Amino acid sequence: MIGGRRPLKGRKPADRRVRVERPHSAFFRYGGPGTLVAKPAANQPKTGLGRAWARVRGVAIGRPLASEEEAGEKLSKKKALAIFSSDAISSSAYATQEIIRVLAAAGATALAFSVGVSAAIAVLLAVVSISYRQVCRAYPGGGGAYAVAKENLSPLFGLIAAAALLIDYVMTVAVSTASAIGQIVSVVPELDPVKIEIAVGVIALITIANLRGLRESGNIFAIPTYSFVFLALLMIGMGLIDIVTGAAHPIVTPNAEPLGAAELSIFLLLKAFAGGSVALTGVEAIANGVPAFKPPEAKNAANTMTAMAILLGILFIGITVVSHAYAILPTVGDIPTTVSLVAASVFGAGTLLFVLFQAATALILFLAANTSFNAFPRLGAILALDGYMPRQFAFRGDRLAYSWGIVILAAVAAFLIWLFNGNVTALIPLYSVGVFVCFTLSQIGMVIHWRRVRESGWAWRAAVNGFGAMLTAVVLVVVVSVKFVDGAYLVVILIPVLVAMMLFIHRQYQASRHELAIRRDFVAEAPQREERVVIPVPGINRAVVQAVQVGRSIADDVRAVFVTDEPDDIAPMQEAWERHLPGVPLVVVESPYRALVGPLSAYLDVLDAAWPPGKIEPITFVILPEYVARRWWERILYNQSVKRLRSSLLGRPHTVVVNVPYRREDAEAFAKPAPPPPTA
Amino acid sequence: MPEAHTPPFKRAVLALNGGSSDELILRLTTAMAKGTEAELIAVHVVEVDWTLPIDADIAGNSEAAQRVLDGAESAAEQARVRLEPVLLQARDVGAAIVDEASERGADLLVAGLPYRTRFGGDFAIGRTVPYVLKNAPCAVWIVREPIPEEPA
Repeated sequence: MIGGRRPLKGRKPADRRVRVERPHSAFFRYGGPGTLVAKPAANQPKTGLGRAWARVRGVAIGRPLASEEEAGEKLSKKKALAIFSSDAISSSAYATQEIIRVLAAAGATALAFSVGVSAAIAVLLAVVSISYRQVCRAYPGGGGAYAVAKENLSPLFGLIAAAALLIDYVMTVAVSTASAIGQIVSVVPELDPVKIEIAVGVIALITIANLRGLRESGNIFAIPTYSFVFLALLMIGMGLIDIVTGAAHPIVTPNAEPLGAAELSIFLLLKAFAGGSVALTGVEAIANGVPAFKPPEAKNAANTMTAMAILLGILFIGITVVSHAYAILPTVGDIPTTVSLVAASVFGAGTLLFVLFQAATALILFLAANTSFNAFPRLGAILALDGYMPRQFAFRGDRLAYSWGIVILAAVAAFLIWLFNGNVTALIPLYSVGVFVCFTLSQIGMVIHWRRVRESGWAWRAAVNGFGAMLTAVVLVVVVSVKFVDGAYLVVILIPVLVAMMLFIHRQYQASRHELAIRRDFVAEAPQREERVVIPVPGINRAVVQAVQVGRSIADDVRAVFVTDEPDDIAPMQEAWERHLPGVPLVVVESPYRALVGPLSAYLDVLDAAWPPGKIEPITFVILPEYVARRWWERILYNQSVKRLRSSLLGRPHTVVVNVPYRREDAEAFAKPAPPPPTA
Repeated sequence: MPEAHTPPFKRAVLALNGGSSDELILRLTTAMAKGTEAELIAVHVVEVDWTLPIDADIAGNSEAAQRVLDGAESAAEQARVRLEPVLLQARDVGAAIVDEASERGADLLVAGLPYRTRFGGDFAIGRTVPYVLKNAPCAVWIVREPIPEEPA
């Protein structure tokens, strides 16, 4: 990196000094011996269009961040509860609704079972959270279901868990956003006709925020989460007082669905249980994020898990009890939502507390959606690094975010909301299956983990996880069987499809890695192979001359190939060629069938066949002259034949395709005036 | 966003020698220049002895010299302050710094002073700082590094 040196005079003759130019300094800085680190200027686009696009990106997602600017925030338990629990706690906003919707099919008396069903789900929640406390302690580095299943069961089970998690994250965005919009429409019914547009707009905003690198800042999450928790607890408390004092009277549910007359069967109760079990979604988030806690990480995460489970249990059972006391019925299209009817009954419709509660509910649901925007891209990146997803998922964008994962999550979730018309109940059957697949696999994985490590207290820890695994496996079977026709079948199909896709990608990457691998003892020696150059030419012009000159600098054996379907063009071409490029052989290939690629390829085959047998094959450089268009729209006018030739030659053995672009600046080489004609 | 303030200089030449005082100089001057139009010129001089020609290829190949200026640039980038790095070769460091400051019309020259003692006795100020103090046409600030603690 030696620059020029400029001598400068000093005040005295002996004070001369030399300024040493540092040509690298604009674009690089030294990172150590033999290492340069690129500065932002090295990434600046050089074309006008590129600069304009960079400005647009700068406004939309912010200036690019260097890797070292990544902030690592260690979270206190209070902040972590807000960040990791928004998904789980927010599910209390729609879980009750899913229970009463199922029970309403058996008439008003069946609704009395809603409290019992929610209590059973709370027991399940307790078992799952106790099991996940073990995961926090065993995997302080973050024990997602994928990591646990992959390490303790097999990579295949890891992939099943990963597929289920990916589906789960997409569904979290779709369900939470749809439910949040439902809360807003419950307050402002006039927005119902544009609810899909609002949902898609909100997802777009969350996407942009995440592409900008929205950090899991505790404060952003804490306010809506704790507001919701406080207002929901207040609502439940006031509701319980109404119940005790006898002030809770049945209300007339607006837009209520007509009650059914079906028989109250075990199947119906199981279906209600399966519907309400969406309350457990998001419980695993704390176990996935153990490294983000302040030390002692595992202990703090485990305690936060307990606090979250207790809060969720109280909110879920509380909302169900109050809802039952006011005899709230399911509504058509979930508008207004059950939780908003509970709030309206307790606080009074249109009161400040009611509006505040609805706003807090909508906000926590949006935050729950945002949780997936952190988790999905990270899982995608881990899978990409393990070779199960395209590598693009592991690339981090200008703002250190996994841009591919974020955009794909947003696109799929928005599509689902549009497809299901933003109806939470229609989306729910797709939701729970993935969640319980993850629960079951990670719990089974934990049993094997404890058996393997056999540390102090392993037996009872394995027993806790074993019981959790058994219970969640039973619930998984129940959820799949009772929701199968409602949409769960899609997940049952989708998980194997995703797993097969990931295995296929893995096999492709393994095959290419095997092909590209270099033996440890391999030492490259100087090449002994001969080289020859073949230049397909469409005629003679500056771009062709430049390509020939480049070819001459590569090898002595240079020949141009002129493929033409016009016999009349041959003589003038040969005459012009001899005049401008004497000494360079021109091979003319007549193509009566007007093809270009075929005859050129055949000519190369002939060259190969003519090579002396027993001699190492030469490297053939096929040089393609290319005219660089000045403007973007000009590009469609030029170089179409070059593109076809390039793509046809890429797979050819012993062949290197070289593009030689002719640019405006290259015109200087041709500017020298022609010598005057010889005088007689 | 920090409030804009008037810095005590418009253009300051920072004489960096690759020692621990560089960090002090950069911290001080970038904090003062932040949010203003003030301009910093970081100068590092590689001394060439009389056995070699003055334009011998020394500094351009010296990673240590490059690292001094790269460090200054990084500090300025982080503080969002304008800084121009200048690499010089000269027979006498003090003269080169003063001439550079003079030629660029600097109104401040900041130099670092390591705390060294001669043979473990008196504080040794060296040649460069006295030369700068005596000849610089502009204001001069000397940043002396703290006295290292004596081992108990």
